[in-house]
Amino acid sequence: MTEPGRALFVPVLLGTVRQGRMSLPVARLLVSELSRRPGIQTELIDIARLPLPIDDAGQAIKDPTFSAQMSRADALVVVSPEYNHGYSGLLKHALDTCLKEYIHKAVGVVGVSAGPYGGTRGIQDLLPVLRELGLVAIFWDVNFSAVQSVFDEAGALRDQAYLPRIDKFLKELVWMARTLRHGRESVALE
Amino acid sequence: MTAMICPTCGIEMNHHAEKLVLPSGPDEASSVDPVLGGMIEELYTCPRCGSGASRRAEPTRGE
Repeated sequence: MTEPGRALFVPVLLGTVRQGRMSLPVARLLVSELSRRPGIQTELIDIARLPLPIDDAGQAIKDPTFSAQMSRADALVVVSPEYNHGYSGLLKHALDTCLKEYIHKAVGVVGVSAGPYGGTRGIQDLLPVLRELGLVAIFWDVNFSAVQSVFDEAGALRDQAYLPRIDKFLKELVWMARTLRHGRESVALE
Repeated sequence: MTAMICPTCGIEMNHHAEKLVLPSGPDEASSVDPVLGGMIEELYTCPRCGSGASRRAEPTRGE
């Protein structure tokens, strides 16, 4: 059981660096919806802001700030746009810089696409990666199809039908985060 | 196994996971457990403050 006063930390990872990315309003919406929930702390982590070189990879290029954020996290929301039927290569590059920070923590994936499938192909490819990193994926996703029409020019949500879907997604993610925190702290490996 | 003590709270941390990790370079190749095919990272979490810690496990002994 989560102790009173110890909020869950559930950051939102924006998994693309592409200019003009439409995943940004999606990530901001998830941060906003998480912020409404009692006992939850969140922040937007933009992989474009991480100082990661591309002449090496993995934990050798671990960024101390990102590592500390992942260590503190109880769960992670990954906003993952689909590019050419896959997730972003730089999202993988960022995720690979940590490992022990992720173990037995919850993760939920929000797929984004300009087309009709809501990033599902990228999500399917990302799930085994998340599993190998030690994260525990929930069974709810949120899928933003034709994302260019979902938000207005100011980044406000046009289609309110996304909100109950996000609510279900976050309820499951928070339940898993609380359960896994209890397990990490109190259930010993035998 | 030696207990892992939380540096902040001074109490024993909970050992909740063992993750198989692969060597990242030639310098770690000699640390590979021949039985498991990699190295075991032990994961611990403090039941009071929630902070995490980890360490490499000793290789298992083949029979």
